[in-house]
Amino acid sequence: MHGVRAQVIAILIGAVASGSASAQLPVLRARALDATAAVKVFNPAGSIRLVGWDRDSIVVRGRVARGAHFFFGGSSQGVKLGIEDPINGGDSRPSDLVIYLPRRSQMSIKSASADIAGTDVSGWFYSVSGSIRLAGSATSIEAETMNGTIDLAVTVPWVRARTGDGTLTLRGAAEDVDLSTIAGTLNVVSTSIRRGRVSSVTGDIRVLGSPPADALLELSNHEGAVDLRLPRSVSGLFDLSTISGTIENGFTGARPAATSTTRSRMLRVRLGDGDAHVTVRTFKGPIRLNPR
Amino acid sequence: MTNSPTRIDAHLTEEERHGLADDSLPPDRRADAEAHLAMCAECAGDVARLHSLMARMTQLPDTVDAELDTLWPAIRSRIERGKVVSLGGEPAARRSRRPVRQAAIVAGVAAALVLAFTLGRETRPQANVVLTPGLNTTPIVSIADSSRAYQEEVQSLLEELELRRSTMRPATAASVDRDLRIIDGAIDELTDALERDPNNPALRQLLAASYRQKRDLLKQADNAS
Repeated sequence: MHGVRAQVIAILIGAVASGSASAQLPVLRARALDATAAVKVFNPAGSIRLVGWDRDSIVVRGRVARGAHFFFGGSSQGVKLGIEDPINGGDSRPSDLVIYLPRRSQMSIKSASADIAGTDVSGWFYSVSGSIRLAGSATSIEAETMNGTIDLAVTVPWVRARTGDGTLTLRGAAEDVDLSTIAGTLNVVSTSIRRGRVSSVTGDIRVLGSPPADALLELSNHEGAVDLRLPRSVSGLFDLSTISGTIENGFTGARPAATSTTRSRMLRVRLGDGDAHVTVRTFKGPIRLNPR
Repeated sequence: MTNSPTRIDAHLTEEERHGLADDSLPPDRRADAEAHLAMCAECAGDVARLHSLMARMTQLPDTVDAELDTLWPAIRSRIERGKVVSLGGEPAARRSRRPVRQAAIVAGVAAALVLAFTLGRETRPQANVVLTPGLNTTPIVSIADSSRAYQEEVQSLLEELELRRSTMRPATAASVDRDLRIIDGAIDELTDALERDPNNPALRQLLAASYRQKRDLLKQADNAS
């Protein structure tokens, strides 16, 4: 009996899968493209996958939802492509695009719910509710989503990323960063950030990794925690202050001092040579400075 | 302008009144306007007042630039002193004028934000100047005008959001509203705390960060429509 039921389920799954595939039509476009060309892409639903390569051309492959209109136009200096929004304003059916383009192209990618994934690409990446995952090397990255997750594992001199409720994670080697969430958790795993501003309103901020010697970092949170888990060899000056939260210091015996006029608490901790300068402020979220 | 019979019965526009007063109204419009003046004491009186005012203005002596040059530094100084006082003024007076007080706090905080951001990107020692309490407030005052622009930007983006709301998906609009409520809640808490402790630099920085979050959210929402 179990065997028959399993066979029926397998057949049903196969039917659903084939139905899904036939709801999309294949697309293939290509053209020559300058190394630093501008590339604009819009796909409301489904997925966008971007791959930077060392050729002077752009190739678009994928499957477009049946009934959706795929557009592709431009010149060697710039290309615009994607899926048009439904005229009636209804929900878009998912289309999946894979785009190969020169790695120094300046991207401008936008989606409503489509997930965006890219390797070795630079530019502006925006989704309302889809996730954004970028990896590899880039010249600059600006990633924004209203409530999707952002996962950046990149080597990049400048990155700006923000999300509302989603989780934001930065790994890799970024130098100048500006990261923020509203309620989402914010994770920073890096030892390369030289200038950084990291903030949230209610989401927790977690930082792992020792800042470089000349780093200047500022972390602020209203209600969420700021959790610094650093190697014992970390070197820097840490200015920690909270209005009504707590400060935990797992490195030294120093304890926070209350200011004379309010319940605010402050703690300055110098570790090692103290070259880097890290400032942490919270309103009521706890601050934790601990060795890994 | 039309020459219909009813036009003569209608009151003159502001432009027509000024045109008659300084004699710049085009001849083709003058006849109708004068016809109306003849039957309307209100417009005639207004034009006469404007004409009198303009005549007095022409009799005023020319302003000597040197006088302005002499007076301006003192005026400027008083304005700047007023800005500093508004940030840390008498608590009782502030309590009765909450909007003014909030605007002053926002102006100071935004100024600190701009200054901290600018200096922070240039040299570290200067960034410390902003973060250390009790230092000379002159730099903050000198960029107070920028803070007004910052505050106006948030207001302008809020208005833009309302205009675009109808083009946003309901789920997106709900998400924006939810995030705005979170940020506004934080701003309210920080504003209240600043009233109790107006010279706390950490509070000012946190409030600045919250306003920045709000500005960025509104910009982001602008792209969502």
